[in-house]
Amino acid sequence: MKIEVAYILISIFLFLSGLFGVIIRKNLITLLVSTELMLNGVNLGLVSMDKMVGGVEGQVFALFVITVAAAEVAIGLGLVVAIFRLRGYEGSSEIIQLRD
Amino acid sequence: MEWLIFGFLSLWLLVSVFGTLFLKNPVHVILAFLSVILAIAGIFLHLGAELLAGLQLIVYAVAIIVFYVLVITTIPWEKVKKFEGIYKREALLAVPFLLISFLPIAYMVLEGKFAVSQKVITEGNIQSVGKTLFTNYLFPFEVASVILLTAMIGAILLGRKEE
Repeated sequence: MKIEVAYILISIFLFLSGLFGVIIRKNLITLLVSTELMLNGVNLGLVSMDKMVGGVEGQVFALFVITVAAAEVAIGLGLVVAIFRLRGYEGSSEIIQLRD
Repeated sequence: MEWLIFGFLSLWLLVSVFGTLFLKNPVHVILAFLSVILAIAGIFLHLGAELLAGLQLIVYAVAIIVFYVLVITTIPWEKVKKFEGIYKREALLAVPFLLISFLPIAYMVLEGKFAVSQKVITEGNIQSVGKTLFTNYLFPFEVASVILLTAMIGAILLGRKEE
């Protein structure tokens, strides 16, 4: 087994554990941290595939993923602060304003 | 030697991922996430992507972590403590689904054959990434700057106080 294949397995595990965190966490801030885990898993997969294939395009895509992650954090934490100011709640099961 | 570095980095990564998933206190979760970031930067260095390792340290470990810590300090602590921990029933339900989705992907990665090109990169990593970024991917690069500007305006609008 080559070492890049092992890193791709690690990246799949990282992505799925980020998804697990999005499903199970109660706090909104830790839920956002779990989405960051998913983005990091995708980055790791792109870079290790890049090493295996022998190009640089995967690293360019990983750079764009980092850009989108920074934008996502700005918007997501702005939403968390806005929700907190609206209702004072911070649990992920308490945000039901659109359902009611 | 290569497998020794792999074992060290991946063990570090797995321990920090479990800390990120199961710790209760949000500040401890963010510290564990910082550990994940450092481990991934080490893996990037091991894979020969020096530019991405530096960007990972600058963008994630400095900008994003500090942003999380700032938001946590603006929210009153007793409200945060009311919603910590995990949903137990959902965790028990989610484990088999994620395991079932992990196994076929891992099987495909282990059994599949990858196309290996014989192109040998003679120049350094940062040089080749920069040449590809500013020739073939120039338009997505400009679009990324527009995305960042839009996110900045949106964050200002969301964080503004209502009159």
